[in-house]
Amino acid sequence: MDIKKLKPVFFIASILMAVIGTTLYMGSYFSGLLFILAAVVLFLAYKWLESGTAALLGLIKAGAQALMVPVFGIAIAIVLGALVMLASNYDPVESYRALFYGAFVQNWHVSVLNAAPLMFTGLSVALAFHAGLFNIGAEGQYYIGAMAATFLGLNLNLPPFLSLILIFVIAGMLASAWNIVPAILKVRTGAHEVITTMMLAHTARYLSPIFIRAHGGDPSTSDHAYVTDQLPEANWLPRFRSFLPEANYRLHVGILIGIAMALLVYYLLYHTRIGFEIRAVGQNKDAARAQGISIGKNIMMALLLAGFLAGLAGVNQVVGLDHKLYENLSAGYGWNGISVALLASSHPIGVIFTALLWGALDAGGQYMARVTDTSNSIVEIIKGIILFLVVAKYIYAYLGNRIRRYRRRKQEAAEGAA
Amino acid sequence: MSAPQDTKQVILETKDIVKQFPRVLANNDVNITLHEGEILSLLGENGAGKSTLMNVLYGLYTPTSGKILLNGQEVQFNSPKDAIDLGLGMVHQHFMLLDPFTVTENIILGSEPGKRGTIDYKQARREVKEISEKYNLKIDPDAPIETLSVGLQQRVEILKALYRRAKILILDEPTAVLTPQEVDELFEVIRDLRNSGVSVIIITHKLEEVMAISDRVYILRGGEVVGERNTSDTDKTDLANLMVGREVVLTVEKEDKQAGDTPILTIEDLRVLNLKNFPAIDGLSLDVKPGEIVGIAGVDGNGQTELAEALMGLLSVDSGKITHLGDDITHMGTKELIGRSISYVPSDRHRFGLILPMTIGENIMLGYHDRKPYVRGIQLNYKYINSHAEELVEAYDIRTPDVQNPAEKLSGGNQQKVILARELSREPTFLLVSQPTRGLDVGAIEYIHKQILAMRDRNVAILLISLELEEIFALSDRIEVLYEGKIVKEFDPKKTSHKEVGYYMTGGKE
Ligand SMILES: Nc1ncnc2c1ncn2[C@@H]1O[C@H](COP(=O)(O)OP(=O)(O)O)[C@@H](O)[C@H]1O
Ligand SMILES: [Mg+2]
Repeated sequence: MDIKKLKPVFFIASILMAVIGTTLYMGSYFSGLLFILAAVVLFLAYKWLESGTAALLGLIKAGAQALMVPVFGIAIAIVLGALVMLASNYDPVESYRALFYGAFVQNWHVSVLNAAPLMFTGLSVALAFHAGLFNIGAEGQYYIGAMAATFLGLNLNLPPFLSLILIFVIAGMLASAWNIVPAILKVRTGAHEVITTMMLAHTARYLSPIFIRAHGGDPSTSDHAYVTDQLPEANWLPRFRSFLPEANYRLHVGILIGIAMALLVYYLLYHTRIGFEIRAVGQNKDAARAQGISIGKNIMMALLLAGFLAGLAGVNQVVGLDHKLYENLSAGYGWNGISVALLASSHPIGVIFTALLWGALDAGGQYMARVTDTSNSIVEIIKGIILFLVVAKYIYAYLGNRIRRYRRRKQEAAEGAA
Repeated sequence: MSAPQDTKQVILETKDIVKQFPRVLANNDVNITLHEGEILSLLGENGAGKSTLMNVLYGLYTPTSGKILLNGQEVQFNSPKDAIDLGLGMVHQHFMLLDPFTVTENIILGSEPGKRGTIDYKQARREVKEISEKYNLKIDPDAPIETLSVGLQQRVEILKALYRRAKILILDEPTAVLTPQEVDELFEVIRDLRNSGVSVIIITHKLEEVMAISDRVYILRGGEVVGERNTSDTDKTDLANLMVGREVVLTVEKEDKQAGDTPILTIEDLRVLNLKNFPAIDGLSLDVKPGEIVGIAGVDGNGQTELAEALMGLLSVDSGKITHLGDDITHMGTKELIGRSISYVPSDRHRFGLILPMTIGENIMLGYHDRKPYVRGIQLNYKYINSHAEELVEAYDIRTPDVQNPAEKLSGGNQQKVILARELSREPTFLLVSQPTRGLDVGAIEYIHKQILAMRDRNVAILLISLELEEIFALSDRIEVLYEGKIVKEFDPKKTSHKEVGYYMTGGKE
C-alpha cells in the first residue's frame, strides 16, 4: 500500500499527540513531554511524506533560522541581565536559578495562567499586523470582552457548555464591535488606528469601574469592594484538576483554547482566501486593489477579528481564572500582547511560544522576588532587552528593505524610462 | 568638425578597475580610454555595471582595485570634490537641483564667487550668462528651477558642471526623461561641447542613441567590457548581440493583420479627475477592435496613469462612457472588470503588479483567488495554485528555482513575465498594457513584444500605453497621440515618423 495515503493519518495523529501532550504536561512534565515529542516526530514525518526530504530539510533549516534571532536575543538579554544584577549587588546565579525554577518547575501553572490571555492578545495584534494595521488598543477590547463575559456569566443560566460557548462567542463579538468605529474611521477618513484604538482602550478601561458597581461591586463595604459578584460555577471553564489529579487546582483549559485559536488563525491566514486577502492588503495594498481586492473590506475584517481575539483574552480571565471582574486588576495583557506578537514576528504559531515565554518570565520573576532579594524589576529589564534585540532585527530588515527598494527604484528609473 | 581619431590625446584611462559589492562583482577588470574631445558611449543592459564604473570615476565609489589615469597621471578620488577639482563633471539620472532656487543659485551652489562668506550674486549671474553663451546653452539665469522643463533642468546640470570648468562630462542615461525633441536638442548641445574641447561620456542602453551621437562605444556585460567599436564601423544588430551575449531580434516581426469590425472596447468623451481634482483625462474618445494594437503615445504626465486607472476601475470616472463587449462598464469595480475578461499589465510592476513578498504561485493566483479551482469553499487549494503556476513558469520561461520563490527574488524581466503570465493566461478579450518593458533588457523586451503580438494574433483587443516611441512604433497598428488628457492626433505607423508623432506629443498644432 502506498505510504503516501497515510499522510492525513500522520497529520491527525500528530495533532492528537500534541493536544494530549500539552494537556498531560499540566499534570506531569514527563509524560507530557513524551507526547509532545511524539507529535513533533509525527509532524515531521507528515511533512516528509508531503514534500520529500529536501523540502523537509529546508523546513528544518528555515525553522532554525527563524529561531536564531529570538534565541540569540534571549541569550544576550540573560547575560545583560546578569550584568545589571552584578552592578546592583544581586547574585545572578542564585537569582536566575530561582527565576527558572519558578518559571518552569515550581510555578509552571502560573506561567501557563499568564500565557493564556497573552496568547489571545498576541494573536490579535499579530493578525492586525498582517493587514498592515497596528491594533495598539487590544487592552480596551480585552476589557470589553471581560465585562461582557462577566455580564453573560452572571445572567446566563443554560446547560454548562452551551452557556460557555455563548459567552465566548458573544463577548468576543462585542469586543470586536469595539473596533468597528476605528475600522470605519480608517476606511472612510484614513484616521490612524493607533490613535483611535488607543483612545477607545482608555474609554473601555474606565468603563469597567462603572460596570463593576452595577454588578455587585460596592466600595463602601470592605468585603465586596471593587469587584463584581462571582459567576455561578456552571459558567466556569473546566479545570485540568477535574481529569488530571496532579494538576494545580487553578489551572483551567483556557490555554488549550488559546493554542487552538493560534492554529485557527494560522489556518485562516495561510490557507484561506480571507487570510490571503488580508495579507495581500497588508503587504501591498495597491497591487491588491489592482486585482480587485477591497482594501476597506479587509481592513474592516482584520480589525474586527483582532478585536474578537483580544476580547477572548478577557473572557478567558473571567470564566477561567477569576470568575469575577476586579477593578484595577489589569496585568496589561493588551499592551503585553504587542510584545508577544512582535517577538513572534506575527506568526500565529510563534505567538504560542512567545506568550509562554512572557508568561514564564513573569511567573519566574515573582517567584524569584519571593525567595531571593532580587527585585522583580530585573525581569522587566530582561523583557525589554529581549524585545529590543529581537525587534531590532525588524529594524535591520526594514532598513535593508528600504535601501533595497530605493536602489531598485533608482536603478529602474535610470535604466527604465529610457 | 571632429578631428581624426588617432591624433587625439588620451585624457582619461582606467586600468583594471574592479568593484566588488558585498554580493555582486559590478566591475571586473574594466579598461577604457577616453580621448580628448570625443563622445564616448557606454552601452550595456541593466546591471551591467555602467553606473558603477562612472561613480568610480567620479569619486563616489572607491574601486576595490585598479587605477584611474588622468592625462597619464594616476589619480585617486576620495570624493566627488576631488574629481570636480580635476575637471570632471557628472550629470546623474536624478537631478540634484534645489527647486525653489534660481538657475544661477543652483549653478554656483558649492562654489560661490565672493569673499568671506558673502556671495557676489552679480558676478555669479554674469559668469553664468557668459558660460551659457559660450557653449550655446540658452537659459534664463533668474528662472526658478521648478518653472523649468525637465530638458532645461538637465541643461542647468550641465552648466553646473561647466561652471566648475569640467573638461570631462559624464552623463548617466541623460535621455531617459526627455521627449524626442529634447533628445535632439541635447545631442546638439553635446556636439557643441565636443567641438569646444569637452570630452563626453554618455551612458545609455539605447542602441539608436549610441549610433546617433557617439564616436566610439564600449559595450559592458556582466561587469566586463565585452567589446569596443567605432560607431562608424558597427550597426545596431552587432551592438545588441554584444550587449545581450546572444542573437537578438531588435524589432519583432509583425505581420499585417486585418482588425475585426466591431470594437471590443469603446471610450466616449471620457473625463477623469486626478487626485488634485484636475481633469487629467478631458474628453477622450477611442475604440479598440479585436486583433488590433492601439498605441497611446505621449509624454509622461499627460493622463496615461489616469486613463489606465479609470479603465480598470481604480479611479472613478467623472463623465463619459466606457463600453466593453456592448456593456456599459463605466462605473464597474475592478473585481468585476477582471471577471469579464479584461486584463491589465500595469506600468509600475512593484507597486501595482506584484505583491513582492508573496510567492510566484500566489502572485499568479492574485485576482482569481476567490474562484474555483484556486479555492474550495474558503480553503485555498495550494496544490492547484502551485501546479498551475508551474505550468505558467514553464510556458512563459520564468527563471526561478521554484514557484514558492517570493516575487521579490526575481529579476525585473522575470517579474514582468510573472505578471504577463497571470494576465495573458486569463484569456482576455481586452488587454491594457502600460509600459510593459520599462527598465527591461533588450532580451526581455524581445520576449514581451512577441507575447503581446501573439495576443493580437488571437484577436485580443489591445491598448498599449507607452512612453517609448520605439515601442509604440514596433507594436501598434494605430497610434493615438495623447496630449493634456485628449487624443490630439491619430496616425498610421506606416505613414508617419518619430519626429511627426513627437511633434504632436509636445503639443504641436497642425
Ligand atoms: N551600492 C551597491 N551595492 C551593492 N550592489 C550594487 C550597488 N550598486 C550597484 N550594485 C549592483 O552592481 C551591479 C551593477 O550595477 P550598475 O552599475 O548600477 O549597473 P548599470 O548602471 O549598468 O545598470 C548590479 O548588479 C547592481 O545590483
Ligand atoms: Mg545605471
